[in-house]
Amino acid sequence: MRGTLRLALLTALVAAALALPGTVFAEDAIDKWIDEFQPSAISKEEQRKELEWFKKAAEPYKGMEIKSVAEGITTHKWEADVLAKAFEEITGIKVTHDIIGEGAVVDRIQRQIQTRRPLYDIYVNDADMIGTHLRMDSALNLTEYMKGEGKGVTSPYLDLEDFLNPEFGQDYDGNQLQLPDQQFANLYWFRYDWFTDPEFKAEFKEKYGYELGVPVNWAAYEDIAEFFTGKTIDGQTVYGHMDYGKKSPSLGWRFTDAWLSIAGVGDKGLPNGLPVDEWGIRVENKIPRGATVERGGAANSPAAVYATTKYIEWMKKYAPPYAASMTWSEAGPTPARGNVAQRVFQYITWLSDPAFTDPESPVTDENGKPLWRVAPTPHGRYWEEGMKVGYQDAGSWTILKDSVTGDKRAAAWLWAQFCTSKSVCLKKFMVGRTPIRKSTVHSDYLAEREGDFGGIITFYKSPVEHMWTDSGPNVPHYPLLAEQWWKNVASAVTGEVTPQQAMDNLAETMDDIMGKLRMAKYSPELNPKKSREYWLNQPGSPKPERGPEEPKTMPYDEMIKAWKQ
Amino acid sequence: MRKRSIALIVYFVLLFIPIYWMVITSLKTDNEILKELTFFPKEITFKHYMEIFTSEVWRNSFINSLTYVFLNVIMTLVAAIPGAYAFSRWNFRGSHHLFFWLLTNRMAPAAVFMIPFTELYYILHIYDTVWAVALAHCLINIPLAIWILEGFMSGIPREIDETAFIDGYSFPRFFRKIFLPLIGPGIGVTAFFCFTFSWVELILAQALTVTNAKPVVVTLTVGIGAEGVKWGLLAAAGFLTIIPGAVVVYFVRNYMAKGFALGRV
Repeated sequence: MRGTLRLALLTALVAAALALPGTVFAEDAIDKWIDEFQPSAISKEEQRKELEWFKKAAEPYKGMEIKSVAEGITTHKWEADVLAKAFEEITGIKVTHDIIGEGAVVDRIQRQIQTRRPLYDIYVNDADMIGTHLRMDSALNLTEYMKGEGKGVTSPYLDLEDFLNPEFGQDYDGNQLQLPDQQFANLYWFRYDWFTDPEFKAEFKEKYGYELGVPVNWAAYEDIAEFFTGKTIDGQTVYGHMDYGKKSPSLGWRFTDAWLSIAGVGDKGLPNGLPVDEWGIRVENKIPRGATVERGGAANSPAAVYATTKYIEWMKKYAPPYAASMTWSEAGPTPARGNVAQRVFQYITWLSDPAFTDPESPVTDENGKPLWRVAPTPHGRYWEEGMKVGYQDAGSWTILKDSVTGDKRAAAWLWAQFCTSKSVCLKKFMVGRTPIRKSTVHSDYLAEREGDFGGIITFYKSPVEHMWTDSGPNVPHYPLLAEQWWKNVASAVTGEVTPQQAMDNLAETMDDIMGKLRMAKYSPELNPKKSREYWLNQPGSPKPERGPEEPKTMPYDEMIKAWKQ
Repeated sequence: MRKRSIALIVYFVLLFIPIYWMVITSLKTDNEILKELTFFPKEITFKHYMEIFTSEVWRNSFINSLTYVFLNVIMTLVAAIPGAYAFSRWNFRGSHHLFFWLLTNRMAPAAVFMIPFTELYYILHIYDTVWAVALAHCLINIPLAIWILEGFMSGIPREIDETAFIDGYSFPRFFRKIFLPLIGPGIGVTAFFCFTFSWVELILAQALTVTNAKPVVVTLTVGIGAEGVKWGLLAAAGFLTIIPGAVVVYFVRNYMAKGFALGRV
């Protein structure tokens, strides 16, 4: 009896000794990570509450290991190096956040869907895939999950309303299939110092009859490109435009990332035009009906041909000679060389690169403040009020529902919410410059530093930010269709075919593929062919040929004032 | 003689340029790489190498690659040496067809095997291990190894085998004591070709690994992302990646030409 009592006492003591440091350790961990997650948009007390919720909700999953994957950008590397560690220390769930190439992520997600083998428990996959996910019925419906099975692991602090663009990850019915983790827009980039130079301004006014400023439309962009090309500024020949044209998959993104909708190819509607969106694909009642004009699509409509023609013409006339042989990745940082006046289509991820921010960079002043600014993308002559203006995409958390179930699903969902929590979001923005929350961009911390970002923060705070959107749900199979773009556009760049022929070939190939696709939900069913005239005479997209437009600019500083109102 | 020396020097300089470029790029800052063309780093930095050496992902990737390449070379040789001996010494029904058929495996693109291998290795519970890649590379390396080794073996007169048997050697003893040393250079050069293929192969290595066995070729692809190309990091990793190959080349350099001719020189 005495022996049993002694054993019980000893066990209790050992248990207490083990449990006590455990508790202290976990609380220490929260304190430690709160210090790490500064600056923050919420107070330390609020951070503590949120992190404690994670600790408590994760208790049943302690000791589990999960795998997630994302492409190689600074934001995700920070998640892999810092947030994974923090998450493990706070919740006891070990995460391997694998960082691989963007193409490899798409490849793996497709393979996991095909084989139903759990390669990863959760993906950060571009919201451009939303049309594919909803039609393949591959992604876990997060809206349903949060209400049902995943109720206990859904943070009360998640605050979906606070996300900048949660609609990117939603299907036609507003169900959240993907949750944004990082996003970046594609904006107009220009040399503010050159555009405000009184000599250039006077010269421009005299030559073109209107003020040099941020171009509102392509006609003005073209004039400015012509104006600057060939000038000698600071001892070097400068160019009025920058782009890329190498025959590579990235050439496709140049187009699928909203170039056609900027030209005005699609219909009105936000975030994406309906029934015809930026890829020129017509969708009726969620069913893709065709990309050729003959089937009611607009991929080879006059607007699409105009978009392609201008792209090639500008690159040949106004871009540096090396542009045509560059890929997307190579062309991205080149405006930082200081010999480019403007770029119609600049991904803002590059703008956090030292090439654009270093005090020694040719595009910053001696204090490292940018001499460049970003502004809204100018639109083409087919564009109409009410259409999207440009591109931005959100790398979004996606759980594949067939291969990831039960506890793995719950742990993965916790991890996704942790990476997007208010506790870490502002710090994550400071590291990777890819905001996802309104509370981040509206934080006091960033309000004080707005000028350091060349207008990026101002853009995200502005009322127009929601007009920059991703590919949207009309694209029934992103990987398969995106592949067709670069091959066809490349043949127009090299002059093998005319822009009209290139877009005809592309639209027909898209129809051909869509005609063969058999998808789980809303599978494409092509419209019967009718004459081009029939469709061009219908209201909306595809739109008939239009004449030239009046060039229009606006002063940057006034535009900023409007954004701030 | 002098002309020849000059030509050789020019040739080596030309060969050396890409390697030189890679080395200096790996020592430049990203800003310098993007900003201007410099033939020597203005400001030498080791940060790209530091990033690789201090990162567990990079370190593990190198170890994973070396491990599966080593396993693959061993498995390939163990299978291919007897196979090649059979083709070189014995004529059996269909042996010529079978010998040719071996090469057809090399004609199929690696991507064809991605899904079946994923399935198979999942069932065998070796998906995402170095064994998965090592085995998958055998599909391509064993036929190649048999072709190279058969060439080397056919160059050795059959009389040697016969003499050994007359002298009372058992087959295994003959193989070990006499035959293997004779085809030693062939084995070296075969190992080199298998090493080279396995070391640089990306499609299968990427398809069959996730995180546990991720090889260096896959980690290298991370340098190209939505923020442009991390030239410095890629150059540093590229330089480190060619070192093992260079070491192997050093040891088999005298047999390379024979290897390229599949042993038939």
